[in-house]
Formats: sequence, C-alpha cells, structure tokens
Amino acid sequence: MKKGMLILALGLALAAAAYGCVYFFGTSSARNLEQTNEPELAWLKEEFHLSDSEFKRVSELHAAYLPQCAEMCRQVEAQNQRLKELLAATNQMTSEIESAIAESAQLRGECQRNMLRHFYEVSRTMPPEEGRRYLAWVRERTFLPGEGMMRAK
Amino acid sequence: MNTNEPGNHDQALRKLLEAWRADAPLPPRFQDAVWRRIERAQTPAAPPVWNAIANWIGTMLPRPALAASYVAILLAIGATAGWTQARQESTRVKGELGERYIRALDPYQAPSAMIR
Repeated sequence: MKKGMLILALGLALAAAAYGCVYFFGTSSARNLEQTNEPELAWLKEEFHLSDSEFKRVSELHAAYLPQCAEMCRQVEAQNQRLKELLAATNQMTSEIESAIAESAQLRGECQRNMLRHFYEVSRTMPPEEGRRYLAWVRERTFLPGEGMMRAK
Repeated sequence: MNTNEPGNHDQALRKLLEAWRADAPLPPRFQDAVWRRIERAQTPAAPPVWNAIANWIGTMLPRPALAASYVAILLAIGATAGWTQARQESTRVKGELGERYIRALDPYQAPSAMIR
C-alpha cells in the first residue's frame, strides 16, 4: 500500500512538474517580449521576422512618427471635446456643428494619410513578403471601419 | 407427582407461557422495522469505492509495467496541459502587444480618443 501511494504521489508530482516546465519554456518568448523597453516594437520584430538592421530602421521611423502622432492625438482630443460641447448645447443642427463635423472628418483624413505614409515606409523597410503581410495587418486594424464590429459579432 | 422431573417442568413452563399476556403496545410499524433489520443483516455489505481504489493502489500499481505506464501517462497529461496553456498565453500576450502597437500609431485608437 505504501509503495503504491508513493508511486501515485510521484506520478502526480511529475505531472505538475511537467506542466510547470513546459508552461515556463512555452511562455518564455512572450515573457521576453514583455520585458523589453518597447514591447510592441520587440513584438513587431519577432512577428515580421526583422533583422537587426531592419529593426533599427523601423525603430527610427517609429520614433520619428510618435511626435506627429502625439500632436494628432492632441488635435483629435480637442476636436472631440469641442464637438461634444456643441452637441450638448443644442437639440438641433447648427452651422457650428456642421463645420465641427467637417473639421473632424478633415482631421481624420489627415490622420489617416500620416498613418498610411508611415505604414508604407515601415513596410518598405521589411523583406517584401513580410512588408505585404504587415500592410495587410495594419490595414485591417486601422483602415477598414466596421471590421472590428464585424469581428466582435 | 414429582414436579422436578423434566417432563413435568416443561409442562409447567408451557402452562405459564400460555397464561402470559403482553399488555404493552408495540411501537408503530414494529413489524416493518423488524423485517428491514433482517433484510439489512442478510445483504452482504458492498465494499466502498475507496476500498477498491486503495486495494488497487496497494496491489496493482506497484507492478513495474503498470507503474511505468501510470507515470508516463501523467507526464504526458501534464506536458500537454502546460503546452496548451502556454500557447494560449503566448497568443494572448502577442495579440495584446500587436494592439498596443496599433494604439501607439493610430490617434483614433489611443485610449483618450472618445469619438471614433
């Protein structure tokens, strides 16, 4: 009985150890990505199989784009706030609301143009096949409105 | 007549028993209860499941071939579960990092953007 219980416990302990080891090694890649300074760029490097020189160039493009993006974010935020106030102030369409909506659309267009330029630049830095895959991926997430809602359904 | 003889003694006892009357009432459903106790006593007690398992562990598991198979199966189950969980976790983390990349570049997906 004692020997049987020992074997039983040994089996369970080995199963737990196997689970822990495989889980630890299986998640090491994701863990390493999360521990880098810029996890999203590290992920990009791994996902699109970039060499060190390609990654360096992509990182430079990313760093150059971020201030533009921050400025756009500020403008979008301000425009959203303005539109919100105008919508709260009345219960009918006014010329101010119309112009605010048009400005929002213009801002969105400008934003998309900047993003697209950046995406093209980044994709050109990648090996051709990976560049195409990258463009398809970013397009799906940024330029296909409603796709997210379709996915959510 | 000698009342100490065995035949006389039996007769006296028989008379005494015939004269005896029980006045105390029986408890309710007395007969049913008696039959139930008899049935219970006649049914052989089934060994509990735990006894069977303990018996199996004590006698069968120590056999080398069975022990090796048992350990190998548990190892495989543990490793498979770990691998499945690790894959799910990696997919989740990488998906999240991809979304973070997009949110960093798209002002309309930045957390502060209220109207998309």
